[in-house]
Amino acid sequence: MSDLKSLDGKDVHSAVPALCDQVKAGEINRRQFLRTVSLLGVTAASARGFLSAIGAGGAALASGTVLADETPKQGGTLRFACAIQEITDPALISWVEASNLLRNSLEFLTYVDSDNVTHPYLAESWKPSDDLKDWHFVLRKDVTWSNGKKFDVDDVMFNFERWTDPESKSPNRTTFQDILHFERVNDHEFILRLGRPLLAIPEMLYAFTCAIVQKDFDLDGSNWAKNPVGTGPFKLTSYAVSKEALFTRREGYWGIPAHLDGLHYIDMGTDVSTHLAALQADQVDVLYRVTVAELDLVKKLPAAQLLSGKSTQTIVMRMQNDQKPFDDIRIRQAVVLCANNQQMLDIAYRGMGTLGENHHVSPIHPEYFALPKQPRDVAKAKALLAEAGYPDGIDLELVVGNTQGKYEQDTAQILQQNCAEAGIRLKLNVMPAAQYWPIWDKAPFSLTFWSHRPLGVMTQELAYRSGVEWNESHFSNKEYDAALDKAMSIVDPKERSKAMADVERILQEHYVMVQPFFGDSFTAVSKKVRNYRLHPSDYFRMDGVWLDA
Amino acid sequence: MTRFLARKLGGIVATMLAVSLIVFFALELNVDDVVVHVLGPYSAPDQRAAWLTEHGYDRPFVLRYLAWLWHFMQGDWGMSTYYREPVLTLLAGNLYKTCLLASSALLVMIPIALTLGVIAGIRQGSWADRIVSVLSVFTTSIPDFASAVFLSAIFVFWLKLLPGASTMTSGFSVEQMVLPVMVLSLFGIGYLARMTRSSMIEVMGAHYIRTARMKGASTLRIVLRHALRNALIAPVTVIMLYIPWLLSNVIVVEVFFAYKGFGTLLYTASLNSDVFVIEACAMVSVLVVAGTQVLSDLAYSWLNPRISFNSNGGAA
Repeated sequence: MSDLKSLDGKDVHSAVPALCDQVKAGEINRRQFLRTVSLLGVTAASARGFLSAIGAGGAALASGTVLADETPKQGGTLRFACAIQEITDPALISWVEASNLLRNSLEFLTYVDSDNVTHPYLAESWKPSDDLKDWHFVLRKDVTWSNGKKFDVDDVMFNFERWTDPESKSPNRTTFQDILHFERVNDHEFILRLGRPLLAIPEMLYAFTCAIVQKDFDLDGSNWAKNPVGTGPFKLTSYAVSKEALFTRREGYWGIPAHLDGLHYIDMGTDVSTHLAALQADQVDVLYRVTVAELDLVKKLPAAQLLSGKSTQTIVMRMQNDQKPFDDIRIRQAVVLCANNQQMLDIAYRGMGTLGENHHVSPIHPEYFALPKQPRDVAKAKALLAEAGYPDGIDLELVVGNTQGKYEQDTAQILQQNCAEAGIRLKLNVMPAAQYWPIWDKAPFSLTFWSHRPLGVMTQELAYRSGVEWNESHFSNKEYDAALDKAMSIVDPKERSKAMADVERILQEHYVMVQPFFGDSFTAVSKKVRNYRLHPSDYFRMDGVWLDA
Repeated sequence: MTRFLARKLGGIVATMLAVSLIVFFALELNVDDVVVHVLGPYSAPDQRAAWLTEHGYDRPFVLRYLAWLWHFMQGDWGMSTYYREPVLTLLAGNLYKTCLLASSALLVMIPIALTLGVIAGIRQGSWADRIVSVLSVFTTSIPDFASAVFLSAIFVFWLKLLPGASTMTSGFSVEQMVLPVMVLSLFGIGYLARMTRSSMIEVMGAHYIRTARMKGASTLRIVLRHALRNALIAPVTVIMLYIPWLLSNVIVVEVFFAYKGFGTLLYTASLNSDVFVIEACAMVSVLVVAGTQVLSDLAYSWLNPRISFNSNGGAA
């Protein structure tokens, strides 16, 4: 299989033939194959070509989709119930909701679909060097900004520079800290030179803080809502925080024009039951999200269709390793030994998810490695507490923000009961989401929601590497960092999974967190809505959606 | 009359000053909190220091309060840190919507409640009286957060007659007003009807009514010409107390139906620690509470000329 050429006749990355052999031998599945080769710059079409050439073709992978065989209808305005948050600098937004509004006008270099396969977007193609340290990107040549200017490599360079600026407040600064050099090849090509091998670069470029803004962005006041220049299929026409936002279809879009004439985002507050009432009364067409609490109601609504999908979104009850009393590993271990993750999944999330193993890598991640199960052991937890100097039990406080719904608090309450069996008196400090987000990384013991990431290593990079911006548990371990480096540099999913064993084991052994489950994601849309996909990261593109009115 | 109004006005101003001092003390004593709310949790320390100096936060508390008061009186209410709009325009728009909601609720509530109360009151012990009494106890015993859920379960999900959210994003809609108005007036109708009923019973037993009856006046004439004016004193008090009550209870109703009025504004502002909006909302609330008190005093004197503006005791 060494003479593989992609559909446009180019040579493929040196790791691709080996991957083809593995999928043929049944060592990795089609999904793992597609996902990995898409990162290496092989388009999904070429990859499917390879698969059929080796006799491993098959049905499409789409999940969580409103499937429609009909021809799309043009026109109409879709109404979307979603929080309308302040938007100034796209690289600084901290909410997925805000990014979904941006997404209609601003685009990304790559696109990760609902099956986690990476596709070309503003970048037409890319190819990493064999050691995964140099990434050669080619941009589309036919893209214009909504103010008429041409999109080129200078726009991209401007974005990378402001992300990685030492003064940057964006999480992109640490995400891309391994980029040593941005090399401009010509008007439409550039090379990223990295300090270490990173397979996930194309996927990382679809993070919600990576929307590409025009190079004049800072000159024009660094405020996107005031000056909404974009390359995307829609343009922003009105914007009012906490009220509504309006988008209309843009002429001169480089890609396939959107089906809808307009998008109307409406802020209906935080109560999902109000959103459902509005959906039932035909006041909105799409809800951003429904939680487990509303599932029964959704199923009873004649006007609604329920969408659900597997996701690696999760809640993490992490303990700061350098804060009293959690600087004593015996305390952390006692908490983890008490936790009944299965019970939390069954009761708080009604069993609709995947069991977590306190290391923040999901069995549905491609590089997941199954470690031996860790049974609950209350007697041992008690013994550890006594040994640590708390023979009569200990008082702890857990901060909960209910940022995604009441299930966060329900989960914490189960942990509270689990812990009580060992004499740990866990006090819950429940606060509104808006108060929680400013302190999410500050409390010694708190419950944080983490959204879906397509690769397990991506969350590990963001949250547990020593000293990174979003390291809320203050976990710092050289052995772990080295294990993560190794996992990040391996292309082969099977080999990477073996390397992940160390990453997962070290986190488990240091009892950093109780990470009970990965919850499935749900939403409800009107029966008129067609071709709307539930994306595991809640990243919604609206250009393919249409209304059957 | 002028003296009375002047005295009342003085009272309002004094109350507003006192409340403003308390609110300012609670929200702006800790300048670090203010700057974090304005610039966001990710702002840099030097950015924060610069903002504090630029906006005069290095001055003593009393001076800052006086400066704030001065600006406030001139209509410079600052920028909302969450909505990124001038507080004055924001508040004006939302307050208008709440006035619309509250006055609709009053318009529905007052005629219904007074009619029911009068009917029940003039025929004490009749079946009509019993029905009104039972209904009144029933509606006043359901808090509005519960009746909002019940009513939308019935009218939105079951009968599918009414819209479930009242965002009014495509312009004003009467349909979208129905549920919030229903929830707000339901509680008031029961309470007001009961007050009217007992007040009516009392007046109907008075000597002058008996005299009118003996002179052969019809029941309708007795009620309208002789009894109603006196019987209204207690209900008017209830109505006037109901207005400030409305202002705080619209929060529940507006948030539930996603109606963008004063209640939603205050709720969102509190959740997001939008200090300047909270301060302005507090001032508006004081003004409404004090204003309705003056109004109710004026109404008393119209209903009962024996109540003098100049008396120091009594109902004034």
